Amino acid sequence: MQTMMKQGLSVKDLVTAGIFTALFLVFALVGGIFFAPNPVLTFYMPVGSALLCGPVYLLLLAKVPKRWAVTILGAILCAVWFVTGMHWAMALGYLIAGILADLTAGTGGYRSRTRNALSYLLLSLGGTGSYLVFFADPEGWASTMLGNGTEQSYIDTMRMTGTTGILLAMLLGTVLAAAVSALVGGRMLKKQFEKAGITK
Amino acid sequence: MSRFDPRAKLFLLLLTVLCAALAPDLRFQFALVGLIGGFSALCGRWRYALRGILAYGLLCAFTFWCAGSLSGTWRTMFVAFLGLVHKVYACGMLAGTVIATTRVNEFLSAMARLRCPRKLTIPLAVMLRYLPTIREDWRFIRDAMRLRDVSPSLWGFLRAPAMTVNCLYVPLLTAASRAADELSIAAVTRGIENPKPRTCLVTIRMTAADWVVMALFAAFFAIELLWTGGIL
Amino acid sequence: MIEFQHVSFRYPEGGEGGLHDVSLTIPDGQCVLLCGRSGCGKTTLTRLVNGLIPQFFPGELTGRVLLDGEDLAALPMYRISEKVGSVFQNPRTQFFNVDSDSEIAFGLESQARPAAELRARVDRTAEELGIRGLLGRSLFALSGGEKQRIAFASVYAMEPEVCLLDEPSSNLDAQAIEGLRRHLALLRSQGKTILVAEHRLSYLMDTVDRVLYLEDGRVAGDYSREAFLVLSPERRRAMGLRAADLMAERPSAPPSPAAAPRLELRDVSLSYGKRTVLQGLSLQAAPGEIIALAGPNGAGKTTLSRFLCGLHRESGGQLLWEGRVQSPRERRGRAGLVMQDVNYQLFAESVAAECVFGLRRPDTALAEEALRELGLWALRDRHPNTLSGGQKQRLAAAAAMVQGRELLVFDEPTSGLDYDSMTRLAELLRRLSVRGKVIFLVTHDFEFVCRTCGRALWLSGGGLRRDLPVTAETLPALREIFHVR
Repeated sequence: MQTMMKQGLSVKDLVTAGIFTALFLVFALVGGIFFAPNPVLTFYMPVGSALLCGPVYLLLLAKVPKRWAVTILGAILCAVWFVTGMHWAMALGYLIAGILADLTAGTGGYRSRTRNALSYLLLSLGGTGSYLVFFADPEGWASTMLGNGTEQSYIDTMRMTGTTGILLAMLLGTVLAAAVSALVGGRMLKKQFEKAGITK
Repeated sequence: MSRFDPRAKLFLLLLTVLCAALAPDLRFQFALVGLIGGFSALCGRWRYALRGILAYGLLCAFTFWCAGSLSGTWRTMFVAFLGLVHKVYACGMLAGTVIATTRVNEFLSAMARLRCPRKLTIPLAVMLRYLPTIREDWRFIRDAMRLRDVSPSLWGFLRAPAMTVNCLYVPLLTAASRAADELSIAAVTRGIENPKPRTCLVTIRMTAADWVVMALFAAFFAIELLWTGGIL
Repeated sequence: MIEFQHVSFRYPEGGEGGLHDVSLTIPDGQCVLLCGRSGCGKTTLTRLVNGLIPQFFPGELTGRVLLDGEDLAALPMYRISEKVGSVFQNPRTQFFNVDSDSEIAFGLESQARPAAELRARVDRTAEELGIRGLLGRSLFALSGGEKQRIAFASVYAMEPEVCLLDEPSSNLDAQAIEGLRRHLALLRSQGKTILVAEHRLSYLMDTVDRVLYLEDGRVAGDYSREAFLVLSPERRRAMGLRAADLMAERPSAPPSPAAAPRLELRDVSLSYGKRTVLQGLSLQAAPGEIIALAGPNGAGKTTLSRFLCGLHRESGGQLLWEGRVQSPRERRGRAGLVMQDVNYQLFAESVAAECVFGLRRPDTALAEEALRELGLWALRDRHPNTLSGGQKQRLAAAAAMVQGRELLVFDEPTSGLDYDSMTRLAELLRRLSVRGKVIFLVTHDFEFVCRTCGRALWLSGGGLRRDLPVTAETLPALREIFHVR
């Protein structure tokens, strides 16, 4: 009698991570695209992205409950954002958040519902990276963004809207959206994917 | 038409990100897009290059018009939006050419030579290959939704959120899970787990052409730096 | 030589598809067909030979599987892959690359063959398989049949001693199946050992040397080709097997009912952007008619079915229902579609919920009636994804019935179905026909058309070329349309 379980990541885990990263990317783009180009709403882009990706993320964890899966997700998102010319802090934010999310989910053995949901909140905060840089150093941010070709008026509008209240609203909004998404995702996992037998 | 080494392309991407980030004004952005157009044409993508440059020209003209003729909130809105487009245009255009001209095996093999772990390269390669599949899947799902009187739109979502969410995620994620199984089966039965370093159908070698384009992009970056620093 | 020594296997979830004490020997160079009902264990048997069991699908395994005297369970997958090549059912999810050349080279690249040899082998493979025209193409631009050829070529290029094919024809049209048949004959002439697990038997009958019939995880029959071919049709059907010789099939469906037409197409043109797919299409259909829609790849079958369902806007002409012109929205409200990959249209968390999904005021009594009628009532609490392919199709049809749809389109409904499921599908269609539904079947399955359809349409070259009743008189023309020789 033989039962083989591979240690570490198998090819199947890597392929699964790749496919779900593709889905994550698409949903993050779809969710964020409404907000990003509008100077008043741009701060809420991470909120939009966080709202859609929960089910994808939780199913990935359910299918690959192992170390590295989420780090890989974060690292690839980082690479994609960087190469397409997004602000470096957003790219870096996803990488760091990916590692933190991986560690968090790991404390629950990647199978604890609450820890997995918590790790999704952390990952979602990765998208706020570039805006956090804005609040930490508005002058420096303005110069990189302006250097990037963003118009002065855009920055001005952002400055006007970008107060501490907005910072809080953005962070809270992202956490809230991620929580809703994780909740919906968790329920979907239970009602649909576990019954369907595809969470192995 | 020449083929470039994936490593050279990666280097160009990095330089382009830096160039686009530090470009002092639209002239530099335009020159950068021109440079990328030239590179795309060298890769055999003439039409893409022409269309890309032309579209960017129109975009620049439109930006000037907006900045000059509009005022108030509309101006801010449009200029801001265009600002973002300018920021990512060059990178996106180059990324398009790189993705279209780099084969998956070439990429895997080049990354292996750069000592990039398989843990990262395999998922990245699979992701790029799966993106078009998501689009195909979505077309089928959209048809199925419409036949069930579920509108695949924002309005439909607002009217019946729970139902639309199910329609969206369930078939997409089910298809993804199945694809993950079948794709990995197709990979392991063709020996992807072989510990020997993969070879590649296309020879991966840095040629003179690679060095020339890399030097060109580097020179552009240097000029930009000098210009910004006020030396030129 | 492949040897099974008292092999038993059980999947961890239990359920169908396990094997019980299978012992058999397959000598080198033999071409073996594995057949039997869905869940009989034929796929499991192939998985034991290519090492997917136990390395990819864990479970309880006893006994040994030997290839040339080596125990396969002790070999790593990549070593097995040098000797055993595998081709699978779904052409869309078998490729790793985006261009055809690299995909053909994939297995060789894994084996770390030098680049010069790779090029030569890819070219030779394309030459020998007659697929030079597919080289240098994007895989996303290829048809399902062409993708399947690339998947086959990729395995062929590795020159394995043993070639496994698991339902390779499921998603292929008649022409592509003919190509597959030729490729198998080529492998056989090269002295390779071939194992094909398949429901469609007719295309394999010239090629196989031996037929293994599996039932509930046991080898219940071991025939030479000659012995298998002389099995009576009744015996074969009792075994749950599809036709071995399509030339013996005769139209047996009740003729189309003589009623006033309900659906009418007047001079319809369909196009994608500037490319016209179909032109000047006119036809009428009566309630209760079951109409087969055939034609080569790209002839517009899918476009026409999407048009009938209101998912594609016409570029000219009209569709009338009971004499009234229908807008796409009205057509959508009237039509039901059972897709080839039915998984895309199942959304709910249980069979019962699926049936009434999307309805504002669901009629539960009607839903129960539909589920009972289609034999799904006992499964009402299961998740749709856990059903078999045939059950999923019936579920999609049940949902369309509950929605009160009157025009039903089935896209390649028999792909991957065994004989029993096909019979049940035929029965379902007959019931729908009795209720006065207008039914279109996009299909190239001659056996199924003979059993169910009263009429066949043949699309080709941008128009409707043939419109025939399915009767004994039209048999020669039908055979021509469906590539039966």
